[in-house]
Amino acid sequence: MVEQNGPAPLVEVEGMVKSFGENAVLRDVSLALRRSDVMAVVGGNGAGKSTLMKILSGIYTPDKGSIRIEGREVSLHTPSAAHAMGVYLVPQEPLLFPNMTVEENLSLGLDESRADVRRRAVALIKRLDWPLSMSRQANSLSIAEQQLVEILRGLLRSAKVLILDEPTSSLTFAEIQSLFKLIKELRAEGVGIFYITHRLDEVFEIATHVAILRDGRVTLEGPVGDFTRELLLQGLLPSESRKGSAAARTKTLHRNAPDAKPALVLDRVSGYGFRDISLSVYPGEVLGIAGVVGAGRTELAEAVFGIGKLVGGRVLLEGADITGCGVRGSIRKGLNYIPEDRRRNGLFGAASVRANMTSAVLDTLGRVFLPVFRERKLTSKYIEEFSINTTGQEQSLGALSGGNQQKVIISRILATNPKVLILDEPTRGIDAGARGDVYRIIDALKAEGLAVLLVSSDMEEILALSDRVVTMYNGTINREFGPGEIALDGLMAASFGVC
Amino acid sequence: MLPSFRMKREFNALLFAVLLFVGIGSVNPVFLTVRNIALTLQGSVMYIFLAAGMTFVILTGDIDVSVGAVLGMSAAVAATLVRDGYPLWAVVGGALLVGGGTGLLNGVGVTFLRIPAIVMTLGTMGILRGAMFIYTDGKWVENLPDFFKQACQICVYGINLFVLAAVVVVFLMQLYLTTARRGKYFAAVGDNLDGAVLVGVPVVRIRIAAFVVSGLCSALAGLVYTSQIGFVGNVAGNGTEMTAIAACVIGGVSLAGGTGSVAGALFGAVIMNTINSALVFLKVPAYWNNTISGLLLLTMVLADSLLHRYLEEKARRKRLNARFARAAERRACDDARA
Repeated sequence: MVEQNGPAPLVEVEGMVKSFGENAVLRDVSLALRRSDVMAVVGGNGAGKSTLMKILSGIYTPDKGSIRIEGREVSLHTPSAAHAMGVYLVPQEPLLFPNMTVEENLSLGLDESRADVRRRAVALIKRLDWPLSMSRQANSLSIAEQQLVEILRGLLRSAKVLILDEPTSSLTFAEIQSLFKLIKELRAEGVGIFYITHRLDEVFEIATHVAILRDGRVTLEGPVGDFTRELLLQGLLPSESRKGSAAARTKTLHRNAPDAKPALVLDRVSGYGFRDISLSVYPGEVLGIAGVVGAGRTELAEAVFGIGKLVGGRVLLEGADITGCGVRGSIRKGLNYIPEDRRRNGLFGAASVRANMTSAVLDTLGRVFLPVFRERKLTSKYIEEFSINTTGQEQSLGALSGGNQQKVIISRILATNPKVLILDEPTRGIDAGARGDVYRIIDALKAEGLAVLLVSSDMEEILALSDRVVTMYNGTINREFGPGEIALDGLMAASFGVC
Repeated sequence: MLPSFRMKREFNALLFAVLLFVGIGSVNPVFLTVRNIALTLQGSVMYIFLAAGMTFVILTGDIDVSVGAVLGMSAAVAATLVRDGYPLWAVVGGALLVGGGTGLLNGVGVTFLRIPAIVMTLGTMGILRGAMFIYTDGKWVENLPDFFKQACQICVYGINLFVLAAVVVVFLMQLYLTTARRGKYFAAVGDNLDGAVLVGVPVVRIRIAAFVVSGLCSALAGLVYTSQIGFVGNVAGNGTEMTAIAACVIGGVSLAGGTGSVAGALFGAVIMNTINSALVFLKVPAYWNNTISGLLLLTMVLADSLLHRYLEEKARRKRLNARFARAAERRACDDARA
């Protein structure tokens, strides 16, 4: 290709398109990274950051688009091909071999003698001044040390482009400082870095450039000096048209008198991944729990329901203490939970729609034999009520679309007559039509006096459904929004830790 | 404690083997005679080969339950060839062909066709058991030439040839797995599959290779079996897969994949065979053999998986707790600045 003014950028991505099934994740993304650049890639959940980086590191193949490295067009269809071109991805969760030593982790997959690898690694470690023994077993390393090993792996492969996927998500403050020092040193040597993050503070501390991704497109891009915190948040917000549609929904508060008793109270509960959470939900109310992935919301929901462990605090259901009474106890007492990952936790894919719907109430339907008639009646009631699109009660649940599966799961939970319902990302991976149906169902539940805890990373969803909202950040509640105060920019800012 | 843990597992197995000999010897001193120890070791050779091959498969995180059937089939093929006067290279080659071929089939089924390893190898086990019956017409293969039957008695410098061969093979494998550039690939695949893909390990090829090695080792075990027993019945190798898996686990090869060594498997094989032959000395009826193998296997697996779960949960909690540690440190830092 023709040489332009100055050297060609280290990496140039052009017109990148990628969809998974009908879900378009990247729609035309173009980016350029130069030597010694640290480009912060910012965006909400599902914006396409991880997909883009996985394409760059050879894990996914794009549907359309080209990648040029130092001006040459390349095809990166395997991780090894990407390594050969000098691109190395440091994944969010380090993928080390836990049963091997640091040295083995570094040398594996390299085509040179172990002595050579060792020599080079020791030299690198010394130069970076990071204490790390080559003979330690990987499963004894802290997360920061594991990340260092991952970065060393990239450097040993002479990586010119490092991709750091939320590198600080499980680091302590001191560890973050040493990571930043390392990044500065790498910059000085001309390494280009893509830095994916949810933390706006870090953008201003370490990045030279910023690219904001939203809905599979780059909405804003430029040197970090051109950005302010407000501009960043602005770039993360959805476009005006969608904002309008979300706000157009009317909300009715069904919470009755001010002296109403809360249905569920969390009193300073702590557990692994969340700490000191206090909140209450009233009958006929939806309380949104907003935040970014990794804020501790799912861990909280699971622990309250009885899947995970609570290490402190009390859970009160209609005034009665139900702390630690387990999943069966929670369901019996009227607290139920619909998990984020339907496929893994929620549904029996091979069983029929009817079997799925009644699976949670088998104890109460009949004593020994199942009364088929009552099962049918219950099932047809919900199919009609929620307009579930199915060929019949006998159809296997796996054959339904994601939205209809979700409706079946919600009906199953409703059959247990819960008083409080925790919904974790109820519309993830669901098409727009079914999403509207699910919203209507949630509104209807509210009208019937159910208390709903809505965990969602989709700010518009939170905005559309919630009567009150709390945002979680780093495992604690950092802000509460009353009925009149819920607005997208405030939610977004608090979710990203800006209050 | 953790860094030394890996070496300790093999050491534990060796210690266990020695204690076993001493323990049984204290009940019945005849057990500790040189002759008996030599016999026990000779009897272990078959299991050593099976367990060494199995180690490759378990290291990659898979399992191979067809080894007993491969042993039987390759023994039958070798026995008919040697009976019909074929040269030795053809006999050995025939057996290895059966083993290697089955291993390849298993590997392709598990990787390309994505059949779970336990199901795939269970299937080939059934096929081979039936094929063996058809091949031998359900009759024993007998009348093997003396040179073949006496091969198991040959001694080199006072050491039985087969024992020596087994030790040499295991030594070479151990050397390959621990020092060769690609030797670590097997453990890497079982340790962290995604991680292995990411650093460019040819995962599919390694998994297939593991099954082929296991098949070839089972064929060698079949040759040893034929020579030592002197005939091949149609249940040859029945149930030896359990002994082989138990030998691996006792030798410190984790069924979760990623940890263990062939040296450990060798000790495990000796232990398993010692237990079996010790029952005779302790005057326990031989039909307890399988029960005891099974019990030992389950005990070891349980201990192993409990340890794994404990370590995993600990790591997860530590990771989740890092969230507040960070927040608190930052606050402390800000306070100090203010």
